Amino acid sequence: MSKMLVSYATLGYPKENEYLEFIDGCVKGGSDILEIGVPPKYAKYDGPVIRRSYKQVSSWLKDIWPLLKETRDRVKIPIIILTYLEDWLPVLDDFLSNLAKIGIDGILFPDLIIDYVDDYEKYVKKIKDHGLKAVIFTAPSVPDPMIQRVSKISDIFLYYGVRPTTGVPIPVSVDSLITRIRILVDNKLVVGFGLSDVEDMRKALRAGADGIAIGTAYIEAIEKGGVQEAINLVKYFRGVLNEF
Amino acid sequence: MAIEREEILPKYWYNIIPDLPKPLPPPRDPPDAEFSRIDLLRKIMPKEVLRQQFTVERFIKIPEEVREAYLNIGRPTPLMRAKRLEEMLNTPAKIYFKFEGATPTGSHKINTALPQAYFAKAEGVNHVVTETGAGQWGTAVALAARMYNMESTIFMVKVSYEQKPQRRTIMELYGGKVYASPTNLTEYGKKVLAENPSHPGSLGVAMSEAIEYALTNNYRYLVGSVLDVAILHQSVIGQEAMKQLDILGEEPDILIGCVGGGSNFGGFAFPFLGAKRGEKFIAVGSYEIPKFSQGDYMYDFPDSAGLLPMVKMITLGKDYVPPPIYAGGLRYHGAAPSLSLLIKEGIVEWREYSEPEIFEAARLFAEAQGIVPAPESAHAIKAVIDEALKAKKNHERKVIVFNLSGHGLLDLPNYESMMKRLLK
Ligand SMILES: Cc1ncc(COP(=O)(O)O)c(C=O)c1O
Repeated sequence: MSKMLVSYATLGYPKENEYLEFIDGCVKGGSDILEIGVPPKYAKYDGPVIRRSYKQVSSWLKDIWPLLKETRDRVKIPIIILTYLEDWLPVLDDFLSNLAKIGIDGILFPDLIIDYVDDYEKYVKKIKDHGLKAVIFTAPSVPDPMIQRVSKISDIFLYYGVRPTTGVPIPVSVDSLITRIRILVDNKLVVGFGLSDVEDMRKALRAGADGIAIGTAYIEAIEKGGVQEAINLVKYFRGVLNEF
Repeated sequence: MAIEREEILPKYWYNIIPDLPKPLPPPRDPPDAEFSRIDLLRKIMPKEVLRQQFTVERFIKIPEEVREAYLNIGRPTPLMRAKRLEEMLNTPAKIYFKFEGATPTGSHKINTALPQAYFAKAEGVNHVVTETGAGQWGTAVALAARMYNMESTIFMVKVSYEQKPQRRTIMELYGGKVYASPTNLTEYGKKVLAENPSHPGSLGVAMSEAIEYALTNNYRYLVGSVLDVAILHQSVIGQEAMKQLDILGEEPDILIGCVGGGSNFGGFAFPFLGAKRGEKFIAVGSYEIPKFSQGDYMYDFPDSAGLLPMVKMITLGKDYVPPPIYAGGLRYHGAAPSLSLLIKEGIVEWREYSEPEIFEAARLFAEAQGIVPAPESAHAIKAVIDEALKAKKNHERKVIVFNLSGHGLLDLPNYESMMKRLLK
């Protein structure tokens, strides 16, 4: 079983056509799962690069649904929506049922078990009741017994963000962090947050990660050299994963 | 004896985060931040210190050089029984204290200053910067910097700078450069002074100045409390205490420590919590700086300028300025995120005591045991006395262990001030 490449794209970034070109490239380049970021009011755990992408998109994307539907229609691999629970609480049922209606596979709320820990089971049930997969986000600041518990109920894989925020290369020992929790995780383990350094990736995979989630590196590539450069990066990361 | 000391000194630091009852909300950047504070940490903190802050593992190996440095400053510190205090209180409880005042700088602060300085030096840093309130942290940093042949600059809260000339002398003796904050050396200091030229200073302001000064000069900032990494390093206290109690064949019932930012409390109590030893944990703050009774549990900045990432903690607000005449210490506006979570979860209890109460406790302790406690530590002593008297009332042979975080030999001006104001 090959390692999973989970590619992240901010919905509509940088512009509609380029975005669609990028997600096509993600699929062709060998991504197994697509993670689509819906711009939140407060990107609590996102670094400056992804925040910048949200800001740019928010300036023109007023209705997310047509573009989400378009995304679904073009892409056959599983699509997971990434957005903060905080923003959707008042309209959660509508939001989830709309996602399900257009055929989105699952949802990942990075703030679910951090800011809503007392009710997380209720929300997980709600997500599943709507026919969506609940991908649970964990981090090194989540205690061991809880990582063990949520790993059993997380759908598709368990997400483990190894840094406090996306895209900022805070020095961490990725392998030690994974070794700590690998035996607790009764699921596929996908590691993300600030992984763009391929040595870091190899360390993560050697330490037992089943997959890698990449986001910021693509956005930076788009900022620097356009969509094609980001697509090349997808292929490059696929190659790294294929070493394992 | 030498061998025994080395055996008591732990080989690992303990991090409680994997054993907390709930996820610890991570540090984060504020909404619509014009720059990333988390990113800024990479320019402020020594790399290895930052790595330890975010590489959360239950145990992290203490480098052999740091263990040697710990031995060199007299670790393990003594675990002493306060027999005469028990007798004076006529309590059936047994009272033990871990005496962190035994280190050369007179407090526990050296436990994290040493490794941070060591890591900074190993990265080629030659100048470290920090803030200090009463001066214990500044003293620890000045000594640690000297030990590793680095320069140190310390921003000392202005009221303390004026009231504590001896602390300044020690820092300078160790080769530290000491400024009274708010200063004119930083943009933030200038701004504070422009708004109020007679601002007495606060830890939050001094912290911001130290960080800004480190940034503009490309020096490194050493963090004295609040952040997980400082508490991690302090875990030598509690781990030693556990072994020392084992040697005595004692099982602790009640564990008590005072709280400024939470580092001595966490360092002392968290290893016990993690090992599930002890039935009651009491964190003691000051009534005059009422963060436990009046603070909010929310995301706030550790420093007043907001240069550090926001952390979720019990806080009185980053701009809090403590009452100037109060001399009891523990003036920081927040409590470490891990400790805040444990208090919110009801696992750690809190108390607040007023200056007259802690002054009385300090006097009693000095009379009983001969040690002049730091005013900060006197808060813990007051809770110890209350618990010992409760044990007496209930005829319970409780084993009370507390952390005597520092001695008060350089805090005599505080006691003088308290005597003048309180002994009428
Ligand atoms: C002797 C002593 N005890 C306690 C404290 C409170 O700080 P913390 O809560 O980080 O231990 C200080 C702070 O300066 C101190 O010097």
